[in-house]
Amino acid sequence: MSGRRSRSRQSSGTSRISEDQINDLILKLQQLLPELRDSRRSDKVSAARVLQDTCNYIRNLHREVDDLSERLSELLANTDTAQAALIRSLLTQ
Amino acid sequence: MESISPVSNQVTQPTTTTTTTSSSDRSRRKRRKKSQPSSSVDSSQSTSLDKWRSEKQQQIYSTKLVRALRELRISQQPSSSSSNPRGGGGRAVREVADRALAVAARGKTLWSRAILSKAVKLKFRKHKRQRISSPTTTTTTLTTGSIRSKKQRATVLRLKAKGLPAVQRKVKVLSRLVPGCRKQTLPVVLEETTDYIAAMEMQIRAMTAILSAVTSPPPPGHDGGHTHMLG
Repeated sequence: MSGRRSRSRQSSGTSRISEDQINDLILKLQQLLPELRDSRRSDKVSAARVLQDTCNYIRNLHREVDDLSERLSELLANTDTAQAALIRSLLTQ
Repeated sequence: MESISPVSNQVTQPTTTTTTTSSSDRSRRKRRKKSQPSSSVDSSQSTSLDKWRSEKQQQIYSTKLVRALRELRISQQPSSSSSNPRGGGGRAVREVADRALAVAARGKTLWSRAILSKAVKLKFRKHKRQRISSPTTTTTTLTTGSIRSKKQRATVLRLKAKGLPAVQRKVKVLSRLVPGCRKQTLPVVLEETTDYIAAMEMQIRAMTAILSAVTSPPPPGHDGGHTHMLG
């Protein structure tokens, strides 16, 4: 219970987090996004834009992972030699 | 004889110090290999991105993934005739890959713990539909998070910094995309997102590498005799 109270104090303390800190985090996020990182203008891109692009990028990444896992599952289901090839690729790495 | 003993003392001293450093923190040594040995908060944040970009981390993840996939394949074979192997198999592979990624994160991030507890949650749901008090630490964070959600939601709304409704809406959407961040404050969501994106990029790189290593024929230099199996 005291843990919960201290947690709520901590969260109310983080509500006083400065706008600069949040801007820093958003800037760091911007560096990760491929489209916003290359065309980095001197003036700040709006936070809403960064967040929107982040959501789109994460959705893209999810789709890519789903696609890759589909291909992997097809591969695993089809051939028996795939298992030997997996072991071999592991060894050659 | 007397001259030897101080020399031996000098020799033993550095060995003891190295043993203490090696036994104390293996994670710190990993950080030292990648970045500067300063242990400030900024360096730890930058190393989280470097960690996912390093070749070594990708190797570790690929190994874990291949091992897990091999086990998955053995369990998949009997059911492939009954259910649709492609649709269901893809989802199973995705879950395996996500779980391996979460393990590679070593439990330091919210999203990794959420992914792992999702797998554990299904086991609990099979047995009973009760409210779990505290069997493990991961489930406690889940249940206490749901109890504390009202307070945390209030803090998310009450955030004076970035009180713009557009930003708040987008952060909420973002928090739904990243696992385990639905009821977290804005800075937590942003931090988790950066780590999650870096981790997913590594996941994609590793899976693509595995696919290309398996589908394309292996280089003739290593084992030329086996090329006919894939060709």
